[in-house]
Amino acid sequence: MIVANYVAAGILFCIGLLTVLTRRNLIKIVLGLSLMEASTYLLMVSMAYRRHSTAPVLTSPPDGKSFADLVHGDVADPVLQNFCLTAIVIGVAVTAVFLSAAVRVAQHYRSVDADDMTALTG
Amino acid sequence: MSDRAAIEHAKQEPRAEDDLHRPVIGFALAGAVLAVLVIGVVDLPRAAAALPFIARHAMEIALPKWGQNEVVSEIVYGSRGWDTFGETFLLLAAVVSVVTLTRSPEPRTEYVGESMAGRQEQQEVDPKGDGSGGEQQEARQAEENEEDDASDLAPNSDNVPLGTPGPERAAGMSVVVRVGARIAAVPIAVAACYLWLWGYTPGGGFPAGAAIMGVAIVMYTAFGHRAVRPAVRPAIVEPIELLGAMAIIAIGLFGLLFKDSMFANYLTLAVPGTIRAGGTNQLYSGSEFIEVATGLTIAIFSLLGMKHDWAPDEDGDDSEEDGSGSSEDRSSDGDGSGDAS
Repeated sequence: MIVANYVAAGILFCIGLLTVLTRRNLIKIVLGLSLMEASTYLLMVSMAYRRHSTAPVLTSPPDGKSFADLVHGDVADPVLQNFCLTAIVIGVAVTAVFLSAAVRVAQHYRSVDADDMTALTG
Repeated sequence: MSDRAAIEHAKQEPRAEDDLHRPVIGFALAGAVLAVLVIGVVDLPRAAAALPFIARHAMEIALPKWGQNEVVSEIVYGSRGWDTFGETFLLLAAVVSVVTLTRSPEPRTEYVGESMAGRQEQQEVDPKGDGSGGEQQEARQAEENEEDDASDLAPNSDNVPLGTPGPERAAGMSVVVRVGARIAAVPIAVAACYLWLWGYTPGGGFPAGAAIMGVAIVMYTAFGHRAVRPAVRPAIVEPIELLGAMAIIAIGLFGLLFKDSMFANYLTLAVPGTIRAGGTNQLYSGSEFIEVATGLTIAIFSLLGMKHDWAPDEDGDDSEEDGSGSSEDRSSDGDGSGDAS
């Protein structure tokens, strides 16, 4: 039931979105964005899964399988695993940017409440 | 309207928490997005679906074209080498953003004569030029005291005897955590280096870089900033990161020069499963290790090391609002903080 993973990823994404939309605390907004980001990791890893498959490594095929079995697709999807791998690293750096901006805003306004950020209000 | 006055004005207006419009709109939008996502994901490939063409293509060329067993690494540094290049410089852009956001205010230069005017004013306030002029000296002294606070309390967290009554004065954590960190750091570092140099040949520079940065985080958590400061100084880490970025560019350009394609392999392929397997992918992986490890280290320690550049009071009469912590912060901020404006 890999569809359950897909739906769980969708629900996680929407919980993060709901946090971003309904919370005014900047730290909670960053947490919501991180949750949305993490939901995509779950989605990609779930999409890479194949039943009765093995890792996409062309060494020592398991019993009953040959290199031809591996090369011809009896493995998890390596492209999506690659997407997930790089997305995690980029996500850490982007979260650091969000948090740095939140700290600077807090120092400038002495508040982490987004409703207090009124400098651009006409 | 000044920022402070604008905040006060905003606080007098009806707040969102007083009504339900924000949760209602939030739930409605999130529910709509969830409905769209559920409709979309039911058509995604299931566990029994065949691999997409690009994945099968990567499986087929990994051994003959790149001489490597690890297909994910082949995709990261080979089939998607150009994309990885873009992602790497996205990481670099994020690091530059963090460094820019977190650095302390810089003195103004001679752009419109402000520096000259500042010198005249400084001459009036501090004729001797030795910083003995009142408030500025106090602010400077307070900042120095704050920076040296940890060292004054506990020069070395290991010197704090067991059973010392609270409050905890050590910059690091308890002896249990410190010993645990020492034990854990070694295998994490060895595993990261193994993954970097070997892995399934070639190694995985991306995860290895994140793992070695984890060692620095573990040591920081257990021992405090002073223990890792020598290893994470910007003067050391930033040049190394730029060297990693330049190496990645060079590897790509040599591919263009020798094989008419960015990041094409121009080295002789070694036997799969050996340390030189993968041709230029091993070099790319090593450079990526340097880039990721130093980039994440700079980003995280810049964030952790942000100074207390709080905006100065406009009216100076709200000290009771912020408590003692904020008043300490303000005392160390005598020169204001125009960086955030």
